Amino acid sequence: MTSRGTPSRFLRSVLQNGVGRYVCQLKRISIVFSKKAQSSLGARDFIEEGVVDYANKNPGTVVYVSPQPCRVPKIVAEYLNGNVREETITSKTSQQISELLTKLTNQSGLEIIHIRKPFHTDSPSIQGLWHPFTNRPLSIGPIRGFSMHDF
Amino acid sequence: MASGYLLNRGALTLGIHCQRVCRDISLSQVREKKRWMKAYTYLMAKKLKLEGPPPPTPRSQQPHWDYHAEIQAFTHRLHENFSLELLKTVFTNPCYLQMEQEKRKGLGVESETAALVLKDNMQLSKKGSAFAESFLIDWCRASFPSLPAIGVESIVGHLTSPAVITYVAKNLGIEDLTMSAEFPVPDDVLCSTFMAVIGALQESSGAERTGLFLRDFLVTQLIGKDLFDMWTVVNPMGLLVEELTKRKIPLPEPRLIRSAGASTVLPLYFVGLYSDKKLLAQGPGETLAAAEEEAARVALRKLYGYTENRRPFDFSPQQQQQQQPFIQSASN
Repeated sequence: MTSRGTPSRFLRSVLQNGVGRYVCQLKRISIVFSKKAQSSLGARDFIEEGVVDYANKNPGTVVYVSPQPCRVPKIVAEYLNGNVREETITSKTSQQISELLTKLTNQSGLEIIHIRKPFHTDSPSIQGLWHPFTNRPLSIGPIRGFSMHDF
Repeated sequence: MASGYLLNRGALTLGIHCQRVCRDISLSQVREKKRWMKAYTYLMAKKLKLEGPPPPTPRSQQPHWDYHAEIQAFTHRLHENFSLELLKTVFTNPCYLQMEQEKRKGLGVESETAALVLKDNMQLSKKGSAFAESFLIDWCRASFPSLPAIGVESIVGHLTSPAVITYVAKNLGIEDLTMSAEFPVPDDVLCSTFMAVIGALQESSGAERTGLFLRDFLVTQLIGKDLFDMWTVVNPMGLLVEELTKRKIPLPEPRLIRSAGASTVLPLYFVGLYSDKKLLAQGPGETLAAAEEEAARVALRKLYGYTENRRPFDFSPQQQQQQQPFIQSASN
Protein backbone atom coordinates (compact mmCIF):
# COMPACT_ATOMS: atom_id res chain seq x y z
CA MET A 1 0.00 0.00 0.00
CA THR A 2 1.28 3.42 -0.87
CA SER A 3 1.27 5.98 1.89
CA ARG A 4 0.82 9.66 1.29
CA GLY A 5 3.15 12.24 2.77
CA THR A 6 0.45 13.94 4.87
CA PRO A 7 -1.07 12.31 7.96
CA SER A 8 -4.56 10.81 7.77
CA ARG A 9 -7.13 9.40 10.17
CA PHE A 10 -10.37 7.44 10.18
CA LEU A 11 -13.79 8.95 10.72
CA ARG A 12 -14.61 8.83 14.42
CA SER A 13 -16.21 10.82 17.20
CA VAL A 14 -14.82 11.76 20.59
CA LEU A 15 -16.21 9.46 23.30
CA GLN A 16 -19.08 8.19 21.04
CA ASN A 17 -20.60 11.66 21.13
CA GLY A 18 -24.18 11.70 19.87
CA VAL A 19 -24.91 8.05 20.65
CA GLY A 20 -26.06 9.01 24.15
CA ARG A 21 -26.42 12.76 24.49
CA TYR A 22 -24.77 15.39 22.32
CA VAL A 23 -22.03 17.32 24.10
CA CYS A 24 -20.66 20.44 22.43
CA GLN A 25 -16.98 19.68 22.04
CA LEU A 26 -15.78 23.28 22.22
CA LYS A 27 -14.88 24.04 25.83
CA ARG A 28 -13.42 27.56 25.62
CA ILE A 29 -12.58 30.25 23.12
CA SER A 30 -10.28 33.20 23.72
CA ILE A 31 -10.65 36.19 21.42
CA VAL A 32 -7.36 38.10 21.35
CA PHE A 33 -7.58 41.44 19.59
CA SER A 34 -6.14 44.93 19.72
CA LYS A 35 -7.98 48.03 20.87
CA LYS A 36 -6.65 50.35 18.23
CA ALA A 37 -5.20 48.41 15.28
CA GLN A 38 -6.87 48.36 11.86
CA SER A 39 -6.80 44.58 11.48
CA SER A 40 -8.89 44.09 14.63
CA LEU A 41 -11.75 46.28 13.41
CA GLY A 42 -14.00 43.31 12.66
CA ALA A 43 -13.07 41.73 15.97
CA ARG A 44 -14.02 44.90 17.84
CA ASP A 45 -17.35 45.08 16.00
CA PHE A 46 -18.03 41.46 16.83
CA ILE A 47 -17.28 42.09 20.52
CA GLU A 48 -19.72 45.00 20.48
CA GLU A 49 -22.55 43.22 18.71
CA GLY A 50 -22.33 39.45 18.56
CA VAL A 51 -20.23 37.94 21.33
CA VAL A 52 -22.88 38.16 24.06
CA ASP A 53 -25.46 36.44 21.84
CA TYR A 54 -22.92 33.78 21.02
CA ALA A 55 -22.11 33.20 24.69
CA ASN A 56 -25.81 32.95 25.57
CA LYS A 57 -26.50 30.49 22.77
CA ASN A 58 -23.57 28.26 23.80
CA PRO A 59 -23.66 28.04 27.60
CA GLY A 60 -21.24 25.11 27.54
CA THR A 61 -18.42 27.19 26.07
CA VAL A 62 -16.48 29.74 28.12
CA VAL A 63 -15.71 32.91 26.16
CA TYR A 64 -12.63 34.90 27.16
CA VAL A 65 -12.25 38.34 25.60
CA SER A 66 -8.72 39.68 25.83
CA PRO A 67 -7.80 43.09 24.39
CA GLN A 68 -4.04 43.28 24.21
CA PRO A 69 -1.54 45.09 21.99
CA CYS A 70 -1.08 42.60 19.17
CA ARG A 71 -0.55 42.82 15.44
CA VAL A 72 -2.59 39.78 14.53
CA PRO A 73 -5.99 39.26 16.17
CA LYS A 74 -6.84 35.62 16.69
CA ILE A 75 -9.36 33.19 18.15
CA VAL A 76 -7.94 30.30 20.19
CA ALA A 77 -10.41 27.41 20.42
CA GLU A 78 -9.84 24.59 22.93
CA TYR A 79 -11.69 21.33 22.57
CA LEU A 80 -12.62 18.62 25.04
CA ASN A 81 -10.13 16.13 23.63
CA GLY A 82 -7.29 18.57 24.34
CA ASN A 83 -6.69 19.93 20.84
CA VAL A 84 -6.13 23.67 20.51
CA ARG A 85 -6.90 25.50 17.27
CA GLU A 86 -5.81 29.04 16.50
CA GLU A 87 -7.55 30.99 13.77
CA THR A 88 -6.42 34.45 12.71
CA ILE A 89 -9.20 36.96 12.14
CA THR A 90 -7.12 39.74 10.55
CA SER A 91 -9.34 42.09 8.58
CA LYS A 92 -12.42 39.89 8.84
CA THR A 93 -15.83 41.47 9.22
CA SER A 94 -18.07 40.80 12.21
CA GLN A 95 -20.32 38.55 10.10
CA GLN A 96 -17.37 36.47 8.94
CA ILE A 97 -16.14 36.10 12.51
CA SER A 98 -19.52 34.83 13.71
CA GLU A 99 -19.63 32.34 10.83
CA LEU A 100 -16.15 31.19 11.79
CA LEU A 101 -17.28 30.77 15.38
CA THR A 102 -20.28 28.62 14.38
CA LYS A 103 -17.92 26.49 12.31
CA LEU A 104 -15.59 26.05 15.29
CA THR A 105 -18.51 25.24 17.60
CA ASN A 106 -19.76 22.48 15.34
CA GLN A 107 -16.36 20.81 14.96
CA SER A 108 -15.41 17.84 17.07
CA GLY A 109 -11.86 18.88 17.90
CA LEU A 110 -10.23 16.04 15.99
CA GLU A 111 -7.45 17.03 13.60
CA ILE A 112 -8.47 18.45 10.22
CA ILE A 113 -6.47 16.00 8.13
CA HIS A 114 -7.32 13.58 5.37
CA ILE A 115 -10.12 11.20 6.39
CA ARG A 116 -9.52 7.81 4.84
CA LYS A 117 -13.15 6.70 4.56
CA PRO A 118 -16.22 8.94 4.90
CA PHE A 119 -18.01 6.21 6.87
CA HIS A 120 -17.46 4.08 9.97
CA THR A 121 -19.43 1.27 11.53
CA ASP A 122 -18.92 -0.94 14.56
CA SER A 123 -21.19 -3.68 13.21
CA PRO A 124 -20.07 -4.14 9.61
CA SER A 125 -22.10 -7.26 8.97
CA ILE A 126 -25.39 -8.72 10.19
CA GLN A 127 -25.34 -12.08 8.46
CA GLY A 128 -21.59 -12.50 8.75
CA LEU A 129 -18.78 -11.34 6.46
CA TRP A 130 -18.30 -13.42 3.31
CA HIS A 131 -15.33 -15.78 3.19
CA PRO A 132 -14.62 -18.40 0.54
CA PHE A 133 -16.35 -21.12 2.55
CA THR A 134 -19.69 -19.27 2.85
CA ASN A 135 -22.53 -20.99 0.97
CA ARG A 136 -20.29 -23.85 -0.14
CA PRO A 137 -21.96 -27.22 0.37
CA LEU A 138 -20.15 -29.36 2.91
CA SER A 139 -20.04 -32.37 0.59
CA ILE A 140 -17.25 -30.68 -1.37
CA GLY A 141 -13.92 -31.36 0.34
CA PRO A 142 -11.11 -28.87 1.06
CA ILE A 143 -10.54 -25.95 -1.34
CA ARG A 144 -8.42 -27.21 -4.18
CA GLY A 145 -7.66 -26.10 -7.72
CA PHE A 146 -10.32 -26.02 -10.39
CA SER A 147 -11.42 -29.49 -11.50
CA MET A 148 -13.95 -30.40 -14.20
CA HIS A 149 -16.10 -32.84 -12.21
CA ASP A 150 -17.32 -30.08 -9.83
CA PHE A 151 -19.76 -28.94 -12.53
CA MET B 1 24.48 47.43 23.49
CA ALA B 2 22.79 44.14 22.89
CA SER B 3 21.61 43.94 26.48
CA GLY B 4 20.07 47.37 26.14
CA TYR B 5 18.14 46.22 23.09
CA LEU B 6 17.07 43.02 24.87
CA LEU B 7 15.72 45.01 27.80
CA ASN B 8 13.67 47.21 25.54
CA ARG B 9 12.41 44.39 23.37
CA GLY B 10 9.51 43.96 25.70
CA ALA B 11 8.91 47.69 26.05
CA LEU B 12 5.51 48.81 24.84
CA THR B 13 5.17 51.46 22.22
CA LEU B 14 5.33 54.69 24.12
CA GLY B 15 4.04 56.74 21.27
CA ILE B 16 7.29 58.62 21.32
CA HIS B 17 9.42 57.81 18.33
CA CYS B 18 12.77 59.27 19.28
CA GLN B 19 15.27 59.73 16.56
CA ARG B 20 18.58 58.08 16.87
CA VAL B 21 20.38 61.32 17.68
CA CYS B 22 21.34 60.92 21.30
CA ARG B 23 23.53 58.12 22.57
CA ASP B 24 20.95 57.14 25.16
CA ILE B 25 19.16 54.23 23.40
CA SER B 26 16.70 53.48 26.20
CA LEU B 27 13.68 55.14 24.57
CA SER B 28 14.22 54.33 20.90
CA GLN B 29 12.81 51.46 18.94
CA VAL B 30 14.15 51.29 15.44
CA ARG B 31 12.62 49.29 12.63
CA GLU B 32 15.89 47.84 11.53
CA LYS B 33 16.95 44.28 11.00
CA LYS B 34 17.79 43.11 14.52
CA ARG B 35 21.33 41.83 14.49
CA TRP B 36 20.94 39.94 17.77
CA MET B 37 17.81 38.03 16.66
CA LYS B 38 19.61 35.19 14.87
CA ALA B 39 22.03 34.50 17.72
CA TYR B 40 19.20 34.65 20.26
CA THR B 41 16.98 32.23 18.29
CA TYR B 42 19.84 29.77 17.85
CA LEU B 43 20.69 29.96 21.53
CA MET B 44 17.09 29.26 22.56
CA ALA B 45 16.86 26.33 20.13
CA LYS B 46 20.10 24.90 21.54
CA LYS B 47 18.73 25.29 25.07
CA LEU B 48 15.50 23.50 24.06
CA LYS B 49 17.50 20.64 22.54
CA LEU B 50 19.63 20.35 25.67
CA GLU B 51 16.94 20.55 28.30
CA GLY B 52 13.98 19.16 26.42
CA PRO B 53 10.54 20.75 26.27
CA PRO B 54 9.32 22.62 29.37
CA PRO B 55 7.20 20.55 31.81
CA PRO B 56 3.41 20.78 31.25
CA THR B 57 1.55 23.23 33.44
CA PRO B 58 -2.06 22.87 34.57
CA ARG B 59 -4.63 24.84 32.59
CA SER B 60 -5.53 26.88 35.67
CA GLN B 61 -2.03 28.37 35.68
CA GLN B 62 -2.15 29.39 32.02
CA PRO B 63 -3.70 32.67 30.84
CA HIS B 64 -7.49 32.99 30.39
CA TRP B 65 -8.93 30.99 33.30
CA ASP B 66 -12.01 31.74 35.41
CA TYR B 67 -12.87 28.84 37.70
CA HIS B 68 -16.46 29.81 38.39
CA ALA B 69 -17.24 30.28 34.68
CA GLU B 70 -15.53 27.00 33.84
CA ILE B 71 -17.61 25.10 36.40
CA GLN B 72 -20.84 26.65 35.13
CA ALA B 73 -19.92 25.77 31.56
CA PHE B 74 -19.17 22.21 32.72
CA THR B 75 -22.71 21.79 34.07
CA HIS B 76 -24.36 23.28 30.98
CA ARG B 77 -22.20 21.27 28.60
CA LEU B 78 -23.36 17.97 30.09
CA HIS B 79 -27.00 19.14 30.19
CA GLU B 80 -27.14 18.50 33.93
CA ASN B 81 -27.97 20.60 36.98
CA PHE B 82 -25.40 20.40 39.72
CA SER B 83 -25.64 22.50 42.86
CA LEU B 84 -22.59 24.77 42.74
CA GLU B 85 -21.69 24.22 46.38
CA LEU B 86 -21.43 20.49 45.82
CA LEU B 87 -19.29 21.06 42.75
CA LYS B 88 -16.81 23.07 44.78
CA THR B 89 -16.17 20.00 46.94
CA VAL B 90 -16.22 17.61 44.00
CA PHE B 91 -13.01 18.83 42.42
CA THR B 92 -11.04 19.29 45.66
CA ASN B 93 -8.84 16.29 46.31
CA PRO B 94 -7.28 15.39 49.69
CA CYS B 95 -3.77 15.65 48.21
CA TYR B 96 -4.54 19.26 47.23
CA LEU B 97 -5.76 20.09 50.72
CA GLN B 98 -2.60 18.57 52.20
CA MET B 99 -0.44 20.62 49.87
CA GLU B 100 -2.30 23.80 50.81
CA GLN B 101 -1.89 23.08 54.55
CA GLU B 102 1.82 22.53 54.11
CA LYS B 103 2.16 25.74 52.11
CA ARG B 104 0.42 27.66 54.84
CA LYS B 105 2.63 26.14 57.52
CA GLY B 106 5.66 26.91 55.40
CA LEU B 107 4.58 30.53 55.06
CA GLY B 108 3.96 30.68 58.77
CA VAL B 109 0.25 31.52 58.48
CA GLU B 110 -1.66 30.38 61.55
CA SER B 111 -4.61 28.09 61.05
CA GLU B 112 -6.94 30.49 62.89
CA THR B 113 -6.41 33.53 60.70
CA ALA B 114 -6.68 31.80 57.36
CA ALA B 115 -8.48 28.51 57.83
CA LEU B 116 -9.00 26.22 54.86
CA VAL B 117 -12.77 26.01 54.51
CA LEU B 118 -12.60 23.42 51.74
CA LYS B 119 -13.98 19.92 52.12
CA ASP B 120 -12.48 17.09 50.15
CA ASN B 121 -14.35 14.77 47.82
CA MET B 122 -13.70 11.36 49.46
CA GLN B 123 -17.27 10.83 50.68
CA LEU B 124 -18.84 11.83 47.36
CA SER B 125 -16.33 9.68 45.54
CA LYS B 126 -17.16 6.56 47.57
CA LYS B 127 -20.88 7.18 47.13
CA GLY B 128 -20.45 7.69 43.41
CA SER B 129 -18.38 4.57 42.84
CA ALA B 130 -20.84 2.42 44.82
CA PHE B 131 -23.76 3.79 42.80
CA ALA B 132 -21.89 3.37 39.51
CA GLU B 133 -21.09 -0.27 40.23
CA SER B 134 -24.62 -1.15 41.26
CA PHE B 135 -26.13 0.66 38.25
CA LEU B 136 -23.74 -1.01 35.79
CA ILE B 137 -24.39 -4.47 37.28
CA ASP B 138 -28.15 -3.96 37.00
CA TRP B 139 -27.82 -2.67 33.44
CA CYS B 140 -25.63 -5.66 32.42
CA ARG B 141 -28.04 -8.16 33.94
CA ALA B 142 -30.98 -6.50 32.16
CA SER B 143 -29.22 -6.38 28.78
CA PHE B 144 -27.67 -9.86 28.92
CA PRO B 145 -29.97 -12.03 31.04
CA SER B 146 -28.12 -15.25 30.23
CA LEU B 147 -24.65 -13.92 31.08
CA PRO B 148 -23.32 -15.54 34.29
CA ALA B 149 -22.22 -13.52 37.32
CA ILE B 150 -18.50 -13.76 36.50
CA GLY B 151 -19.14 -12.34 33.05
CA VAL B 152 -21.18 -9.44 34.46
CA GLU B 153 -18.44 -8.76 37.02
CA SER B 154 -15.73 -8.68 34.39
CA ILE B 155 -17.72 -6.32 32.13
CA VAL B 156 -18.42 -3.98 35.04
CA GLY B 157 -14.80 -4.29 36.18
CA HIS B 158 -13.63 -3.27 32.73
CA LEU B 159 -16.00 -0.29 32.62
CA THR B 160 -14.92 0.95 36.05
CA SER B 161 -11.22 0.26 35.43
CA PRO B 162 -8.80 3.24 35.72
CA ALA B 163 -8.00 3.07 31.99
CA VAL B 164 -11.58 3.58 30.82
CA ILE B 165 -12.52 6.08 33.54
CA THR B 166 -9.46 8.29 32.97
CA TYR B 167 -10.12 8.25 29.21
CA VAL B 168 -13.71 9.34 29.76
CA ALA B 169 -12.72 11.96 32.36
CA LYS B 170 -10.02 13.49 30.16
CA ASN B 171 -12.41 13.79 27.23
CA LEU B 172 -15.07 15.47 29.38
CA GLY B 173 -12.77 18.26 30.57
CA ILE B 174 -12.61 17.05 34.19
CA GLU B 175 -8.80 17.09 34.19
CA ASP B 176 -8.70 20.89 33.80
CA LEU B 177 -11.07 21.46 36.71
CA THR B 178 -9.43 19.00 39.16
CA MET B 179 -7.45 20.58 41.95
CA SER B 180 -4.68 18.16 42.85
CA ALA B 181 -1.16 18.34 44.22
CA GLU B 182 0.63 16.97 41.14
CA PHE B 183 0.38 17.72 37.48
CA PRO B 184 -0.27 15.78 35.24
CA VAL B 185 -3.08 14.52 37.46
CA PRO B 186 -2.40 10.89 38.52
CA ASP B 187 -4.86 8.23 37.34
CA ASP B 188 -6.31 7.32 40.74
CA VAL B 189 -6.97 10.99 41.60
CA LEU B 190 -8.75 11.49 38.27
CA CYS B 191 -10.82 8.32 38.85
CA SER B 192 -11.91 9.44 42.31
CA THR B 193 -12.79 12.91 40.95
CA PHE B 194 -14.99 11.31 38.25
CA MET B 195 -16.72 9.17 40.89
CA ALA B 196 -17.21 12.28 43.01
CA VAL B 197 -18.92 13.91 40.00
CA ILE B 198 -21.26 10.91 39.88
CA GLY B 199 -21.93 11.19 43.61
CA ALA B 200 -22.68 14.91 43.31
CA LEU B 201 -25.02 14.29 40.38
CA GLN B 202 -26.82 11.66 42.43
CA GLU B 203 -27.30 14.10 45.31
CA SER B 204 -28.41 16.99 43.09
CA SER B 205 -30.58 15.32 40.47
CA GLY B 206 -31.48 11.85 41.75
CA ALA B 207 -30.73 8.29 40.76
CA GLU B 208 -32.56 8.31 37.43
CA ARG B 209 -30.61 11.14 35.85
CA THR B 210 -27.34 9.73 37.21
CA GLY B 211 -28.25 6.43 35.61
CA LEU B 212 -28.82 8.16 32.27
CA PHE B 213 -25.48 9.97 32.65
CA LEU B 214 -23.64 6.70 33.30
CA ARG B 215 -25.42 5.07 30.38
CA ASP B 216 -24.47 7.92 28.03
CA PHE B 217 -20.81 8.10 29.01
CA LEU B 218 -19.71 4.75 30.44
CA VAL B 219 -21.91 2.22 28.66
CA THR B 220 -21.07 3.79 25.27
CA GLN B 221 -17.49 2.63 25.86
CA LEU B 222 -18.78 -0.92 25.30
CA ILE B 223 -19.58 -0.16 21.66
CA GLY B 224 -17.28 -2.13 19.38
CA LYS B 225 -15.88 -4.28 22.21
CA ASP B 226 -15.96 -8.07 22.21
CA LEU B 227 -17.01 -10.07 25.30
CA PHE B 228 -13.78 -12.02 25.58
CA ASP B 229 -11.65 -8.86 25.35
CA MET B 230 -13.01 -7.90 28.74
CA TRP B 231 -13.50 -11.37 30.25
CA THR B 232 -10.46 -13.64 30.03
CA VAL B 233 -11.68 -17.24 29.80
CA VAL B 234 -8.87 -19.78 29.97
CA ASN B 235 -10.88 -22.87 29.04
CA PRO B 236 -13.82 -21.92 26.81
CA MET B 237 -14.65 -25.55 25.99
CA GLY B 238 -15.03 -26.42 29.69
CA LEU B 239 -17.23 -23.38 30.25
CA LEU B 240 -19.35 -24.32 27.23
CA VAL B 241 -19.81 -27.87 28.56
CA GLU B 242 -20.94 -26.44 31.93
CA GLU B 243 -23.40 -24.08 30.28
CA LEU B 244 -24.90 -26.80 28.11
CA THR B 245 -25.28 -29.20 31.06
CA LYS B 246 -27.11 -26.41 32.94
CA ARG B 247 -29.52 -25.98 30.05
CA LYS B 248 -29.80 -29.78 29.57
CA ILE B 249 -28.60 -29.68 25.98
CA PRO B 250 -26.50 -32.67 24.78
CA LEU B 251 -22.74 -32.11 25.02
CA PRO B 252 -20.89 -30.69 21.98
CA GLU B 253 -18.91 -32.87 19.60
CA PRO B 254 -16.24 -31.14 17.53
CA ARG B 255 -16.01 -32.04 13.85
CA LEU B 256 -13.69 -30.71 11.14
CA ILE B 257 -15.87 -28.90 8.60
CA ARG B 258 -13.44 -27.17 6.27
CA SER B 259 -9.76 -27.20 5.75
CA ALA B 260 -7.44 -25.38 3.39
CA GLY B 261 -3.69 -25.26 3.01
CA ALA B 262 -3.02 -28.04 5.51
CA SER B 263 0.58 -28.45 4.40
CA THR B 264 1.38 -24.75 4.02
CA VAL B 265 2.68 -22.12 6.41
CA LEU B 266 -0.83 -20.70 6.93
CA PRO B 267 -3.24 -23.58 7.30
CA LEU B 268 -6.92 -22.88 7.92
CA TYR B 269 -9.30 -25.25 9.68
CA PHE B 270 -12.98 -24.71 10.43
CA VAL B 271 -14.22 -26.81 13.35
CA GLY B 272 -17.95 -27.09 14.03
CA LEU B 273 -19.49 -28.05 17.39
CA TYR B 274 -22.51 -30.33 17.04
CA SER B 275 -24.89 -31.17 19.87
CA ASP B 276 -27.33 -33.92 18.95
CA LYS B 277 -26.19 -33.65 15.31
CA LYS B 278 -27.26 -30.00 15.06
CA LEU B 279 -24.65 -27.30 14.45
CA LEU B 280 -24.10 -25.07 17.51
CA ALA B 281 -21.31 -22.90 16.16
CA GLN B 282 -18.27 -23.07 13.93
CA GLY B 283 -14.97 -21.29 14.29
CA PRO B 284 -11.74 -20.91 12.29
CA GLY B 285 -8.16 -21.40 13.43
CA GLU B 286 -4.63 -22.05 12.28
CA THR B 287 -4.38 -25.38 14.10
CA LEU B 288 -7.12 -27.85 14.96
CA ALA B 289 -6.90 -27.00 18.66
CA ALA B 290 -7.10 -23.26 18.00
CA ALA B 291 -10.09 -23.77 15.71
CA GLU B 292 -11.88 -25.85 18.34
CA GLU B 293 -11.27 -23.19 20.99
CA GLU B 294 -12.54 -20.46 18.68
CA ALA B 295 -15.64 -22.52 17.89
CA ALA B 296 -16.29 -22.87 21.64
CA ARG B 297 -15.96 -19.10 22.04
CA VAL B 298 -18.38 -18.45 19.19
CA ALA B 299 -20.84 -20.88 20.79
CA LEU B 300 -20.52 -19.07 24.14
CA ARG B 301 -21.11 -15.70 22.49
CA LYS B 302 -24.28 -17.07 20.88
CA LEU B 303 -25.48 -18.51 24.19
CA TYR B 304 -24.91 -15.29 26.12
CA GLY B 305 -26.36 -13.12 23.37
CA TYR B 306 -23.18 -11.04 22.95
CA THR B 307 -22.73 -11.55 19.20
CA GLU B 308 -21.68 -8.79 16.81
CA ASN B 309 -25.05 -8.77 15.06
CA ARG B 310 -27.16 -8.46 18.25
CA ARG B 311 -29.77 -5.72 18.63
CA PRO B 312 -27.87 -2.51 19.59
CA PHE B 313 -28.25 -1.03 23.07
CA ASP B 314 -31.01 1.49 23.57
CA PHE B 315 -29.56 4.97 23.99
CA SER B 316 -32.73 6.91 23.22
CA PRO B 317 -32.92 10.13 25.20
CA GLN B 318 -35.08 10.08 28.31
CA GLN B 319 -37.16 7.05 27.50
CA GLN B 320 -39.10 7.44 30.77
CA GLN B 321 -40.52 10.77 29.73
CA GLN B 322 -41.74 9.28 26.47
CA GLN B 323 -43.70 6.58 28.26
CA GLN B 324 -45.79 8.93 30.41
CA PRO B 325 -47.80 10.64 27.59
CA PHE B 326 -48.95 7.18 26.43
CA ILE B 327 -50.36 6.44 29.90
CA GLN B 328 -52.12 9.81 30.06
CA SER B 329 -53.73 9.41 26.62
CA ALA B 330 -54.86 5.88 27.53
CA SER B 331 -56.57 7.10 30.72
CA ASN B 332 -58.28 9.95 28.79
